[in-house]
Amino acid sequence: MDGLDLLKKDWKSREANLPRLSYDEIYNMIWKKSSSIVKWIFIISILEFLFWAILDIAVIDKNYWKEIEELELTEFTIVSNIIGYLITLIFIFQFYRNYRRINSTDSAAELMKNILKTRKTVKYYIAFILIGSAITGLISLYFIIDHHSATAEVTAATNYNFNTLAWIKLSFMIIIGLALLMGLIWLFYRLIYGILLRRLNRNYKELQKLDV
Amino acid sequence: MNKELEHQFVKNLEKNQNIAHKICRIYTNDQASHNDLFQEITIQLWKAYPKFRGDAKFSTWMYRVALNTAITLYRKKKRGIQTQDYDTVHFKIKAEEYNDEEEQQIKLMYDAIKELNDIEKALVFLYLEDKNYREISETLGISEVNARVKMNRVKTKLRTILNP
Repeated sequence: MDGLDLLKKDWKSREANLPRLSYDEIYNMIWKKSSSIVKWIFIISILEFLFWAILDIAVIDKNYWKEIEELELTEFTIVSNIIGYLITLIFIFQFYRNYRRINSTDSAAELMKNILKTRKTVKYYIAFILIGSAITGLISLYFIIDHHSATAEVTAATNYNFNTLAWIKLSFMIIIGLALLMGLIWLFYRLIYGILLRRLNRNYKELQKLDV
Repeated sequence: MNKELEHQFVKNLEKNQNIAHKICRIYTNDQASHNDLFQEITIQLWKAYPKFRGDAKFSTWMYRVALNTAITLYRKKKRGIQTQDYDTVHFKIKAEEYNDEEEQQIKLMYDAIKELNDIEKALVFLYLEDKNYREISETLGISEVNARVKMNRVKTKLRTILNP
């Protein structure tokens, strides 16, 4: 007899030794909390959206607007904020839609695809935040330098050359600092989701490998 | 209405619970993990139950949701020392039923299955459950041809483990 046939025979014969739960035991189980990966992805994603939104609001106070006004950046700030919130809303809507699509009755491949899609939405959102803040940061920086050199010329004309160089150095440092910070945040995300989604990614790849 | 649904569900699951236990047997190595996975499968089944329509058999539907839970949704908990081999609790082979060589072979096969990846485990499980390729392909979401190819590969893999 082939080894596999033996195994099948054995598999069937062991059916009798399976544990058996009573009606009540099962009934109690359906009210227990799920610890599925989808639940964790949902919770973490919501926390991410909240984190960035709260950070955004926390930064804005009275002084913030006063400084913005002094720098003549009011229009720019308002427009960029409106665009930012609109895009955030689109992301949240998209996330919710993908989340709703996750359904354990789909085929394994379909289910995994939907989970990864949900995750990707949040990933793109983080990328958008990071790149968006970098761009608005750089534009503001440009305006600040511009504003400063315009006022500095009058008060300290003799030092102007030195100041330009200093500003270039400063902007250079700021850009590097910004890039480093964003790189770190990005790495942090990769790490969290790398761990959380490692098994899912591996299985999804395995299924895709089967289907080429 | 809700009470009726609950009752219907629990009755169905009680009757078909073997499917879930068998999946736990393939995917976990100790009693605590077995119970964990069984519970998660139950929760996922209950969550999906309102979408279950009577056009499929409860058991067919259950295979899919339970396997999806084991492969995709379930998060393995890190466990400390596994003091007890699960096999010795539930899979105890009655020695008189097998001759030594067969018994040894079967033991080797179960060990080999434990070494397979999650998808391969699913294929072996569906094979052991006598599922046809159409069902296998629908459950996993791959084409029938690929299910067949992969199944043959897994079988070969298991055979070579037995006869290196």
